[in-house]
Amino acid sequence: MAKIVVLGAGISGHVAASHLRRKLPKEHEVVVVSPNSNYQWIPSNIWVGIGRMKSEKILFPLAPLYKRKHIGYKQAKAVSFYPEGDQNEQKPYVLAEYVFGEQKGQQEKITYDYLINATGPKLNFEATEGLIPGKNKTYSVCTYTHADHAWEGLKALIEQMKQGKKARILIGTGHAKATCQGAAFEYILNVEEELRKHKVRDMAEVTWISNEYQLGDFGMDGMLLSYGSMTMKSHEMIEMIFEDRDIKWILGAGVNKIEDGVAHYENLEGEQKSELYDFAMLIPSFSGHGFKAFNKNENDITEKLFKGFMIVDANYTPKPYEEWSVQDWPETYQNPTYKNIFAPGIAFAPPHSISKPRKSKNGTEIFPAPPRTGMPSGITAKLVAENIIDTIKNGQESLSHKGSMGNMGAACIASAGFGMTTGSGVSITTYPIVPDYEKYPETQGRKLGKTFGEIGLAGHWLKLALHHAFIYKAKMRPFWWLIPE
Amino acid sequence: MTQRISKYQRFKMMNPIIQFFKFIYLSIKIMVIVAGGHGGTRKIN
Repeated sequence: MAKIVVLGAGISGHVAASHLRRKLPKEHEVVVVSPNSNYQWIPSNIWVGIGRMKSEKILFPLAPLYKRKHIGYKQAKAVSFYPEGDQNEQKPYVLAEYVFGEQKGQQEKITYDYLINATGPKLNFEATEGLIPGKNKTYSVCTYTHADHAWEGLKALIEQMKQGKKARILIGTGHAKATCQGAAFEYILNVEEELRKHKVRDMAEVTWISNEYQLGDFGMDGMLLSYGSMTMKSHEMIEMIFEDRDIKWILGAGVNKIEDGVAHYENLEGEQKSELYDFAMLIPSFSGHGFKAFNKNENDITEKLFKGFMIVDANYTPKPYEEWSVQDWPETYQNPTYKNIFAPGIAFAPPHSISKPRKSKNGTEIFPAPPRTGMPSGITAKLVAENIIDTIKNGQESLSHKGSMGNMGAACIASAGFGMTTGSGVSITTYPIVPDYEKYPETQGRKLGKTFGEIGLAGHWLKLALHHAFIYKAKMRPFWWLIPE
Repeated sequence: MTQRISKYQRFKMMNPIIQFFKFIYLSIKIMVIVAGGHGGTRKIN
């Protein structure tokens, strides 16, 4: 009998736990440890943040589902890792602390045979002084509670605009090395569309602020894509959309301080600048959770497991951008020291960024961190689960399932306005996520045809269809496993 | 404001009939790309 412990119940952790439970006989134990009591479909937070969807529509409680599906569940947060056990415990374990109920505050050694670290990122708001969701007129859409607050703030501002107030709206990234530009991109288009629907668009100046060197970088170094019968660069496509919607942009901006209605930033020229706003939604930087790891003698071995995020089968050798290779990226998400530990989704430490690293004249690094959200999170979680299932069933290590981000496609279906007949979406599909310059040297590392963009109402329907399909899948309703990650 | 998307383009983007077929086409195309498989990148000696 094997015991698999999954840390985290986000997209990655939940996908891994679902597949493990479906394919493993009942004598094997699957336990999910997560401080969150709800599953949330994060991509739909955008609609919560513009008041077009209630947060209840994007979440459901985990405990009843896990009970029904015979998945163990502990509402606790991981504190530290003991991959060799300790003097009193022979088996490897994770020290976790309960965050709810009668056991709140109590710590437990949760032993495992296999560990999946799907803890995702820490939303590192502290890295930017004054960037606190709901304070200083800044908001976030990273969680459903943040998105609820964002809508409250936006709604109040729209009311003031209806009374004649001119407003400045600032949306983008809130740190020099933030990622997830796609979410901010969706939000700015949705906010702009909402202003139109409320007939106050002419009262607002809407500005995009980002650590990207060019529009449409999205942390993936931009891309060459097919758009209709044309081939264009992603920055040309996004520029077209922003100009058409009268959205201004500030690029190469490392936001470093927020005061009430003022965002201070450094640009690549090394200039310290500031931007005034009445409402801002700025994505924070992501970081690891600061976990510690100890060996059997309780010596600190954190560097064997973590490099901010968890160390996996990537090539972490520091090298210049020109020498980066698609082979640097992990394939199995297995920790090289402790082979029974895996880290899919955002929890793994990337070997380097995907976007070209850039420094300001003052030496400040200003460029996006690599995105691993959404589809890659689900795909990597599933392949980790499949390798563990095969290993258990075969009685020997099996790593036949591989999924490098350099050999994986992803679709970013960005909502650009809500409404069954008035909505819009920008669909950008990229293959592969990490450019492979050896395979596709003429097309900036991506396969044309599989890397394409579309704008229109169909994109909104597609995003809505994905919302319903993925919540159906997450609830593990009949034949849920037929829906791909 | 600079009009970068022509009225005809906008009509095509927002026409429910055209977009219905686009929806079917996009769903299949994205499914094929995303669910169509993934793998490693390293050569095995």
